[in-house]
Amino acid sequence: MDFSAVWDYLAEGANWSGSQGMGAYLVQQLLLTVTSVVAAALIGLPVACWLGHIGRGGALAINISNVGRAVPTFAVLVLLSLGPLGVGELGPYGRAGLATLVALLLFALPPIVTNAYVGLREVDREIVDAARGMGMRGGQLFRSVELPLAMPLVVSGLRLAVVQVWATATIAALVAGPGLGNVVTEGFASGNTAQVVAGALLIAVVAVALELAMAVVEKAAAPVPATRTRIGPEPRPETPASRT
Amino acid sequence: MARQRSLSTALAIAMLVVLSACGGGDDPLADEGGDTGSSTESKGSLVLGGQDFTEMQIMASIYEQLLEDAGYTVRTQLVSTRKVYLKELQKGSIDIVPEYAGSITDELNIAANGPNAEQVSSNDIDETMQALRDLLEPDGLTALEPAEATDQNAFATTTDFAEENDLTTLTDLGEMGEPITLAASEDCSSRPDCAIGLKNVYDIEIEDILPLGFGTPQTKDSVTSGESQLGLVGTSDGSLEQLGLVILEDDKGLQVSQNLVPVVSQQVVEQNPDVADTLNGLSEELTTEDLAEMNAAVDLDRQRPEDVAQQFLEEKGLI
Amino acid sequence: MILALPRGGSHASTLAALPGIDTSSDCYNFVNNSWFCPAYLTDRRAELLAATQEHIWITVVSVLVGALVAYPLALLARRSPAVSAVVLGGSTILYTIPSLAMFSLMLIPPLPGISPWSVVIGLALYTLTILVRNMVAGLEAVPEEVRDAARGLGYGRLKLLLRIETPLAMPVIIAGLRVATVSTVALLTVGSILGYGGLGNLLRLGVQSDFRAQVLTASVLCVALAVAFDLILLGLQRLALPWQRG
Repeated sequence: MDFSAVWDYLAEGANWSGSQGMGAYLVQQLLLTVTSVVAAALIGLPVACWLGHIGRGGALAINISNVGRAVPTFAVLVLLSLGPLGVGELGPYGRAGLATLVALLLFALPPIVTNAYVGLREVDREIVDAARGMGMRGGQLFRSVELPLAMPLVVSGLRLAVVQVWATATIAALVAGPGLGNVVTEGFASGNTAQVVAGALLIAVVAVALELAMAVVEKAAAPVPATRTRIGPEPRPETPASRT
Repeated sequence: MARQRSLSTALAIAMLVVLSACGGGDDPLADEGGDTGSSTESKGSLVLGGQDFTEMQIMASIYEQLLEDAGYTVRTQLVSTRKVYLKELQKGSIDIVPEYAGSITDELNIAANGPNAEQVSSNDIDETMQALRDLLEPDGLTALEPAEATDQNAFATTTDFAEENDLTTLTDLGEMGEPITLAASEDCSSRPDCAIGLKNVYDIEIEDILPLGFGTPQTKDSVTSGESQLGLVGTSDGSLEQLGLVILEDDKGLQVSQNLVPVVSQQVVEQNPDVADTLNGLSEELTTEDLAEMNAAVDLDRQRPEDVAQQFLEEKGLI
Repeated sequence: MILALPRGGSHASTLAALPGIDTSSDCYNFVNNSWFCPAYLTDRRAELLAATQEHIWITVVSVLVGALVAYPLALLARRSPAVSAVVLGGSTILYTIPSLAMFSLMLIPPLPGISPWSVVIGLALYTLTILVRNMVAGLEAVPEEVRDAARGLGYGRLKLLLRIETPLAMPVIIAGLRVATVSTVALLTVGSILGYGGLGNLLRLGVQSDFRAQVLTASVLCVALAVAFDLILLGLQRLALPWQRG
C-alpha cells in the first residue's frame, strides 16, 4: 500500500472537477445528508416531542424506531429504486436522488425520535411539577421548561443522525446513485486502491468534521453549559449502532 | 453458587468456541490458495473465479458442473469486475476463470506494461492467444483452447435514436458531435475498449458514465428509457432486438477478438491433465448462438444460470 | 418506473416463442416482474436458503470474533483512563469508515481479499464500538461491596472476574450483543461487493437485473433474520439470568 499514491490522487485537480469528480460528489452527499436529516427532524421531532410531553406511546415509537435499525438501508435503497420512486435525476441530488433521500430520511428517524423522546421524559418531574405549581400549562410548560431542558439530548440525536446519515449515504453508489461512494466503488472496480483509500479518507474526514461541528452546536444548546442539573440517572447515550 | 458455576462454565465454553472459530479463521486466510493450488491428489478442490454478470454466471456454472462431473470439488467466487479478481488470480488463490481472450489480454498488458503500453490483442484470435499466453506465463498461469463462441463488447442505442440521427456506426455517432451519457461497467472509464477508446478512436464526447454493469438489464433499461444514449452490451446478447436496441458498428476496429477461453493455473493443469481436457472439450462445442440463447433464458425468462448451464451441458452430451 | 419497455401479454408471448424459454416463471420474468410471486419462492428455494445460511454464519462468526476481541479490550480499558480513551476513541474513528470502503480496502495485502473472512473482519471491527463500551459499562456497574465480599471469600482476580464480575455484567453485555448483532445483519448486505454479502448478494444482483421479487424477498428475509437474532438473544438473556425477569 503506497500512501503517496493516495496523496497524489487527492492532490490531482482533475479528480475533483467535473460531474464525476470528488467535488461534485462531495456537494451531492452534503446536500443529501442535510436535506434528509432536516426532513427527518421535521417529521420526527414534533411526534417525539408530543409523545414525550404527554408521556404516552413512547415505547411504541421507540420500538418502531428500533425495528428500523434491523432494516438494511441498502435493502430500502434497492426497493425504492426498483419501485415507484425510480432512479431518475433529482436536480442537484443526482441519479436516484429521491430514493436515496427517502432511504436516508427513514434511517435518520430512529436516533432523532429516540433521543427527543427520552430527553423529554428525563426532564426532572420535580421541576415540571414546580412549573405546574406556578400555573404553567401545556404549550407554555413545553416551550419554557421541558424543551429547553431536553435540548441537549434532542441535539445529540441530531448529531448522531447527521454523522450516521453521512457515512451511510455512500452506499447510494451501489444503485448507481449520487455521492462519494462512487469514488470508492469506481476505485474498487478498477483495481485502483489509492482511489479507494482516498475516497474512504475523504468520507471519514468529513464525518469527523461534521461530528465536531455538531458537538459545538450541542454545547451551545445546553441550558446550563458544561454541568448537568438533572437529578436521577443519566440517560444512556445511544450508541452509534445503526449503520449500513 | 451452582448457578454461577454453570454460568462461568457456559462462558468458558463460549470463549472456546470463539477461539476455535478464530483459529479456524486464520488458517483459511493463509492457505486458501495454497491448498488448492498445490493439491497432489488427482481429484482435489478447485477455486473458480469470474465476474457476476449474466454471461459469466452461466460460464462459471458450466465450468463448475463440468469439473464437478469430472470429480473435483469446486468453489466459485464471482465479483463485479475483472480487476477485483485479477490479483487473486495472479497470486494463485483462484485457479480457473472463464475469460474473454481480448479483454484479459489488454488487462494483463496494462498491468504489466503500464496504461500506455502498445496493444497486443487484435482481431486475430491466434495472435491474441499467443500474446495472452506470454503475459500469463510469469504468474504461473496459462490459457487453454479458445471456443468459437465470442462475445465482443459493443455499444447499443435505441433503434429510434439510431434512425432519427441516421446512425449505423460509432463513427456516425462521433460525427454527430453531441455529448452522450453512457451506461457501462463500473471500470469503463479506465478501459481502452470502453470510454477511453470511444473518446480517442471515435471522438465521442462522453458527458456521464453510469456504472450499471456490462450488458445488464439495468444498463439496457437505462438506454431504452432514454436516460443514457449508449449502453455497453455484448454481441451475444439475445435480447437486444426485442428491447428495441441496435448495436452501432465498431467500424474502426476498437474491439478485438473476444473468444471465450479458460484461464487456468499451470500447476493445476499439470497435476490434473483432465481439467484441460474437460474445458477444451467445452470450447469445441460452445458457439455464439449457444451464448445468445442462454443469455436470453437468464435475462428475460429469469431461469437460473445453473439450470440453463445444466440444460446446455446435457444437450451437448458433455455431462 | 425504470423501464420504458412495453410490458404485458403480447410481449410475453414473443418471449415464450423463443427457443429454450418456458413460461413457468411468468410472474417474475423480465416482462411481468411482479413484487410478489409464490413461484419465485419455490423455484429459487435453494438459492434463498443458501444466501440465508451464509448470512447467518457470517453474522454469528463476526459477532463472536468481535466479542472475543472486545472483552480483553474492555478489561484493558478498565485498567487506565488513558487506555480507555485510546480504545474507545479508536473504535469510534473506525466507525467513520463507510462499510463500502471498509470492505473494498480488504483487497490490500495482507488482508484476505475476496474471502468471507474479509467481511468477517470488517463486521467484527464495527461491533467493537458497541461491545467494548457495553462491556466496560457492565463491569464498572458491579457494586464495590460485591467485589469486597468476593475478595473476603478468598476469590482471586481471575476468579472474581470470571465468576462474579462478568456474570453480573451480562445483562449489559447481552444488551450490547443484541444491538451489535442486529446492525451486523444489516451491514453484512454491503459485503456483497466482495461476493460474500449473504442476502445482500441477492439484493445487488437483483438491482442489476431489475428483479423485483428477488429484491423484496431478500429484504424481508434480512429483517426477519435480524428480528430472530434479537429474540434469541433476548431469550438467552432471560434464560441465563432468571433474576432479571419481571
